[in-house]
Amino acid sequence: MEKFDKAFPSKPLTWPRGKQWALAGVVGSGNLEVLFERNPKISDQMDCHVESSIPGYKNSWLAALGDFASNYPVGGTKVTIHDQGADPIVVTFRLRQAYDHLLKKTP
Amino acid sequence: MMRAMSPAPKDTRRRNKAERMRRVGKLASGKFVSAKSVPEVLRRIIEPGDILCLEGDNQKQADFLANQLATLTKKDLHDIHLVMSCLTLPSHIELFKKGLIRQVDFCYAGPQGQAVAQLLADGRFPLGAIHTYNEIYSRYYVDLTPRVALIAAVQADRQGNLYLAANTEDTPAIVEPTAFSDGIVFAQVNEIVDTLPRIDIPADQVDLIVEAPYPMHLTALFTRDPAAITDVQILMAMIALRGIYQKYEVQSLNHGVGFNTAAIELLLPTYGEQLGLKGKICKYWMVNPLPTMIPAIESGWVEGVFSVGGEVGMERYTAARSDIFFTGRDGSFHSNRAMGQLAGHYGVDMFIGATLQIDVNGNSSTVSKKRITGFGGAPNMGCQPMGRRHPTKAWLQAGAESNPGPGSIPGRKLVVQLAETFQSGRVPTFVEELDAQDPSIKKALHGVAPVMIYGDDVTHVVTEEGIANLAACRTIEERRAAIRGVAGYTPVGLKRKKRETQELRSRGIIQLPEDLGVSPSDVSRSLLAAQDIKGLVRWSGGLYDPPTQFVDW
Amino acid sequence: MSCSNLFHEQTARQRIASLVDPGSFTEFLPPPARVMSPYLPQLDIPVSFDDGLVIGRAKLGGTPVYLAAQVGQFVGGAVGEVHGAKLTGIIKAAARDSIPCVFIAESGGVRLHEGSSGEIAISEAMRAVFECRAKRVPTIAVIGADIGAYGGMGILTTCCDFRIMTEHGRLGISGPIVIEKWMGKQAYDSSDRALVWKTSGGKTKFLLGDADVLANDDAASVGAAIKKLLAKSAPVTIKSVKARQQELERRLKTFGKTTDPDAIWTALGIADVAKATLATATEFTALAKKK
Repeated sequence: MEKFDKAFPSKPLTWPRGKQWALAGVVGSGNLEVLFERNPKISDQMDCHVESSIPGYKNSWLAALGDFASNYPVGGTKVTIHDQGADPIVVTFRLRQAYDHLLKKTP
Repeated sequence: MMRAMSPAPKDTRRRNKAERMRRVGKLASGKFVSAKSVPEVLRRIIEPGDILCLEGDNQKQADFLANQLATLTKKDLHDIHLVMSCLTLPSHIELFKKGLIRQVDFCYAGPQGQAVAQLLADGRFPLGAIHTYNEIYSRYYVDLTPRVALIAAVQADRQGNLYLAANTEDTPAIVEPTAFSDGIVFAQVNEIVDTLPRIDIPADQVDLIVEAPYPMHLTALFTRDPAAITDVQILMAMIALRGIYQKYEVQSLNHGVGFNTAAIELLLPTYGEQLGLKGKICKYWMVNPLPTMIPAIESGWVEGVFSVGGEVGMERYTAARSDIFFTGRDGSFHSNRAMGQLAGHYGVDMFIGATLQIDVNGNSSTVSKKRITGFGGAPNMGCQPMGRRHPTKAWLQAGAESNPGPGSIPGRKLVVQLAETFQSGRVPTFVEELDAQDPSIKKALHGVAPVMIYGDDVTHVVTEEGIANLAACRTIEERRAAIRGVAGYTPVGLKRKKRETQELRSRGIIQLPEDLGVSPSDVSRSLLAAQDIKGLVRWSGGLYDPPTQFVDW
Repeated sequence: MSCSNLFHEQTARQRIASLVDPGSFTEFLPPPARVMSPYLPQLDIPVSFDDGLVIGRAKLGGTPVYLAAQVGQFVGGAVGEVHGAKLTGIIKAAARDSIPCVFIAESGGVRLHEGSSGEIAISEAMRAVFECRAKRVPTIAVIGADIGAYGGMGILTTCCDFRIMTEHGRLGISGPIVIEKWMGKQAYDSSDRALVWKTSGGKTKFLLGDADVLANDDAASVGAAIKKLLAKSAPVTIKSVKARQQELERRLKTFGKTTDPDAIWTALGIADVAKATLATATEFTALAKKK
């Protein structure tokens, strides 16, 4: 297992009333689950903790997470990922899904 | 290959053919020979040095004849110049292992891609060139005219006429040049009957016929189970429908068969309907009768489909939809690869298909050091038809974007590559240089890298990240930046420069899903008009008969 | 993995969301609580926030229910210590509060990495189901995923008052590969999907009576089936067990030598097997009734 933490600058996210967290994805082969939680302490940063069963792709993770933080307002969010070998396509997809779940409706 | 070397060419071929047929003698009763006499017949009709054509099409194979041929030895048969579309069977490879072949010219290896790579590496594959289908058919009339052609048909009648049924494929393209150059046409058929449903090849063009002990080999190559279509493929389908099909109002098209295009076909009755596109796009198709086309056809999207071949299981459906498909007087399906490729080249607004590898210049290939697959037909459709003169809206619109100069054709065919940025096993689709450019491959292929589709011909690359409009790029540097812009987190994509990408986006050369009004949260497999094979059977009203490997009920 | 309206393709959380009255679901021990497996990290296997089981309280058509939904993609939906404890807990809560319990199963049984704990947890969950039934608190199992309910989960779902299945669901104890391994390929070819579903799939189970309802592969149909059963429950008694035993003995006597599942369908009243295989659940149910 490869584990690392990294914070990325991002515009602040306005958390919808009543929402404390949002989850996307499932831990399975080629997939991951990502949990967004509030972190009021750092409103201009997305604070990430990643645990991946396939080591050696840190550069790819950092690029995908960095792009996500710069394209979406997710400051003030703690992001935790349990990964079982998702490729960058799935990583980006799940991050966007979690963001959508947070802002909208779909679980 | 060369005609008899004499100062005044006369009719030596005709006399030589008569001599070969005389040698066959009592082994034939009229045109008909027995199955067990086939190896001996082949010995008598083929001479060393002949150009020999085996019908190995993409789908159907004259496998009985090929298997019998492969039992012959160098004593019987040598210095053969083998010309054929597809090397698919173990018996095809056996011919090389036995050292019978002096030179081979072909189009596609597919199932034998690894075997071909191995033979090449071992120096036992004397390659002339790898061609596209229409390219090799054209050479049958130029310098690769077959002396003997071994073909496959479904039925023969007692006069020697042939019925090809749904899978005509390459047969007429092989038979005509052979028959009209004093060549010998030897057909295997599934059965001999009194009356054919219709005559596809007249007896005049057929010399010998054998009723094979087993039906010809026929593969269901083009059936894609909707249950296997992924979210990413649906996202890309939505991006393509918005950013290309809708934008250019594509009336006529060819789909390179695969899951990506199957997703598009299954999204027409749902997402396409939501976008108000029915009746505006996708009316005329050059594509095999794909089961995944059924919902769009049943929903009234399609005016007509012409095909290069059939598809196992679609016989009853196509026969019942003769307004859409080409069918004979007998009511059953008809296809033709040479004409289908021609239609796909000149007659349509767009080619769209998926690929395994794309380089920074937009060139693509499916070849790797371990698998030499060849080209098949994709390059015929995936290229700019410089001989085209008739305009359509899509052709002119794409043409205008490419800023044609005073000596350039004003229109452009839409040539679209669909590519997820990663293949399975985390292998990046986008590379700096294609595997096909490897020096050992180029050397084996006489200095020409086996590029399937050239970047100069591609108008758009669609990934899950968005669309890169290569046609609108003014320089090769812009093109590379556009490709990197949609190449995601592959090593090629990670080299993109943020400012460059943003500039291309502001000019509309790169379009992200959000620019097209597509959001990942819209993506759902429930958008597919049919989500499994059973669903396709229901859509067809029970007319579609899926092959057993697709039936899990 | 994907967003879909097909029940068998939905994730556990999507199934819950599409079944319950909008906004009525409260999750117990949600992901932020991080009640996860203590064993998987020792084996370098990724953990999941909910350990593969989502539990909580919701309303179905206004009626309060306790829900448990297994996450099939996480270690095959298999039951480990935490997963099993959550499952037992929610069923015990149902017994305590006299609130119906709905269990959406998608599991191969015990999680081998946590063998002992998993086994114990399943037997505790079974005991909790009996507690519910003794108090006439309805226990309803839904089996609508391709993985089905196998091993200990096959047993647990059979202990419930009712089983709702879709044609995608499968119910059994030993999986097809195990059966083939012990009985030989001639007797049972596990790669023959048609055979596997004809012997353990929802339609067959419905015909045999092991499933009480056959629902269409969508939440609306599954939800409607659940709602009809929310007021019904019966205790497990010596009498009911003996009756079931006799029923199974009759079944063995009638079909014990049959080697063709289609013959079983025909014997149970299905005239046109081909048509029935393609039929929706609604159509199939109607066909099955015409005996």
